[in-house]
Amino acid sequence: MDEQLAPAAKRAARERNAFDMVVDRVWRFFCSTRVAVAEIAWVALLVLIGTLRQSSVPHWIGDNIPGTKGIVIRWLDWDVFHSFIFMISLAVLSVGIFIGGMLNRMPGMWQTIRNPTIRTTRGFLNGVTPAATVAAGTTPDGVIEAITAALKKKRYRVFTEKVGDATHLYADKNSLGQLGTYPFHLAMIIILAGGIVTAQWGFRELQFIVPEGGRLDVGHGTGLSVELVQFVDTYAQTGVPEDYRSDIVILKDGEPVKSGSITVNHPLSYENATVYQSSFGQAVQVRVTDANGNVILEDALPMMYQSLLNPDAPAARIDLLPVNASLVIIGPDSNPFNQPELDTLNVRSGEMWVQVRSNDLPAGTMPPAAIVAQGHAVTLDGVTVEFIREKRFSLMQVAYNPGIPIFIFGGIMLVAGLAAVFYFPLRRIRGIIEPAPDGGATGLIAPLAKRDWSGQQDFEHLMEQLKAEPAFTIEPKIGKDAEANSATPETDVSNDEGTA
Amino acid sequence: MEGLVKLSFYCFTAASVAMFAASLAYIFHAVGRVRVERQVLATSTGETVTSTHASFDRGSESAGRWATMLTAFAAVLSFFSVVARIGATKRGPYSNMYEFSLAFVFAILVMYLIFERKYATRQLGAIVLPIASGMAIYIWSLPNSLRESTELIPALQNNLMMTAHVSAAIFAYATFAVSFAAAVLYLVQDRKNLSWLPKKEMLDDIGYRAVTIGFPLLALVLILGSVWAHDAWGSYWSWDPKETAALVTWLIYGIYLHTRTLRGWRGSPSAIVLLIGFAAVIFTYYGNYFFGGLHAYGGV
Repeated sequence: MDEQLAPAAKRAARERNAFDMVVDRVWRFFCSTRVAVAEIAWVALLVLIGTLRQSSVPHWIGDNIPGTKGIVIRWLDWDVFHSFIFMISLAVLSVGIFIGGMLNRMPGMWQTIRNPTIRTTRGFLNGVTPAATVAAGTTPDGVIEAITAALKKKRYRVFTEKVGDATHLYADKNSLGQLGTYPFHLAMIIILAGGIVTAQWGFRELQFIVPEGGRLDVGHGTGLSVELVQFVDTYAQTGVPEDYRSDIVILKDGEPVKSGSITVNHPLSYENATVYQSSFGQAVQVRVTDANGNVILEDALPMMYQSLLNPDAPAARIDLLPVNASLVIIGPDSNPFNQPELDTLNVRSGEMWVQVRSNDLPAGTMPPAAIVAQGHAVTLDGVTVEFIREKRFSLMQVAYNPGIPIFIFGGIMLVAGLAAVFYFPLRRIRGIIEPAPDGGATGLIAPLAKRDWSGQQDFEHLMEQLKAEPAFTIEPKIGKDAEANSATPETDVSNDEGTA
Repeated sequence: MEGLVKLSFYCFTAASVAMFAASLAYIFHAVGRVRVERQVLATSTGETVTSTHASFDRGSESAGRWATMLTAFAAVLSFFSVVARIGATKRGPYSNMYEFSLAFVFAILVMYLIFERKYATRQLGAIVLPIASGMAIYIWSLPNSLRESTELIPALQNNLMMTAHVSAAIFAYATFAVSFAAAVLYLVQDRKNLSWLPKKEMLDDIGYRAVTIGFPLLALVLILGSVWAHDAWGSYWSWDPKETAALVTWLIYGIYLHTRTLRGWRGSPSAIVLLIGFAAVIFTYYGNYFFGGLHAYGGV
């Protein structure tokens, strides 16, 4: 029976070993600082690529570096921040933060806090600079008691352990500060989670354009719509807008539920939706009738485009489905002093250039167009367009950001965690006190501050303060020391400084 | 109001002069003196030979003391310049690159003086003060129209958030300037080991301590900016060039901290990361010139 079971057990053990090996390798992968740095650098690179894509840099590269046009075209087409690679990179980084930045460090950190290693070696203390010698006429226990009292006055925790005649001493300060690494790392995951929550359950309408007197549905199952009562703007003498605001009414299922003014920094919320002021522009109120006199359009059209020939001339375009055509309207040049040669339409203030483009028009045929003054109408291709009056439109955004409380919570955690780690640095001291050959007590104490200049300075400062203690004398150790706090045999379970 | 604008500018002008003088004094103090000894020797044949020997010596301590005094004077004048500007505009001086740079100069001087006092070393000033002076030259190069007191554009009309967000930014950048100076001196020390410059360990520590101040501040900048953006733009993150550049800068300093504390990187590799980090700071500072974006109003 045992012989029959043996191969199965061996196989199971082998499989378990293989499984353990895979888990171990994955764990080590995520715990590797080198991998973490590579992940951060990779995400930073992707972010840079995605950001530069929105600038003129790719065009410059394409124009000035031979053979890069193909790459630049792909670059411009690649929406980095919504790409699979970017999402995966963030996911891997998050897992790395959780495993490497948090889980893996927990046992060592916990031991430093709850059950620190007290014993040390003379080799360590002899090889460390700075260090201090302690001497007293009293017994070792008396010295330990005095040092403990002195260190406690400086907010150190002190632990001692008897090893033969000698007493080993371990003292630390700010041991809980290193826990700041957990809120810090957790905060980054929380912030990412906030982004995911918003992307998954929120919405954002970037181009929510409503002309004065107009109304637009928010959609997204909210039953809300927004009506722009009026738009008000004021300007400085330099032409810079000083302030602009939209007086709006929010309606739920057609019934007004909230009204107010919105400016750039003062949005208006109702239920989940918040309406933000973004920008504004010119609109044109038109009435369009077909050949039979039927009104096919009566609305204010936001002139949110620019003329192809003159970027300073605002334009509007709308499909006229009942007559299988589209209506194009171009306003006067808003900045006649800028490239005046482009202003070929010569549309004056109070006028609009109107064109009706039939979808059946043969290619290469110029659609009919005319300039029409406010309050007048023109008939083009059987369609009559009446320019009733100029208006304003307000460009708003409507958004629901369910992730924002999560984000703010994460932000507070992040800064608090960093403050705990950096401003409450872990300081540790080790020492051995033993009976002196001629009676009394002698000993050495030294900081655990390997290559930590500030930690060493703090220790020296502390020693200066302890010199005032009457129970013992303490002096800097002088002698043939090993290199300053380097290559020590100390194998403490956590690093010297705490870390972010 | 006009008087306060002028007073602010005059204070800045005086601070600029003090900074330039302080830069020279710090350089003189840090670089040390070159002693040239020339001897005329007579040979056995009766000819004379001139022997020239150059040696480097510690910089003048009095130059160092003058440099510190001039820097403190410049800091006080910058402070008055910023306060007068606040008095004129009734808000934080952060509406354009002129005001922002005035405040940045003040922050650099303050952070530098704190580090000089804490570490009792003046040689960093030979790097930091020229950076502040460079910033002063940049301010002088800006159009005069930016010096006038103007109303805030609507996007910036949130005094509390603007003051908190931008104040955190200028102090973060200022501490990164100090860390940059420490990194440069470290690399010099690593190659030359000059006795009169601070010890490498101290320079390494200055770079690290500066980042431990700047890194949380930059995190605060990103978070406050996001919260403000949520109110102003409807989204707390828009991948705007300037906010993205700030994020990349933060990540670079994050790499520095991780490699230093977890992998035990010290010395030259760490110093090089600090140089890259400060290059990213400069890129972020002037990013709106290249990329425009939602922060473009901060430009000229």
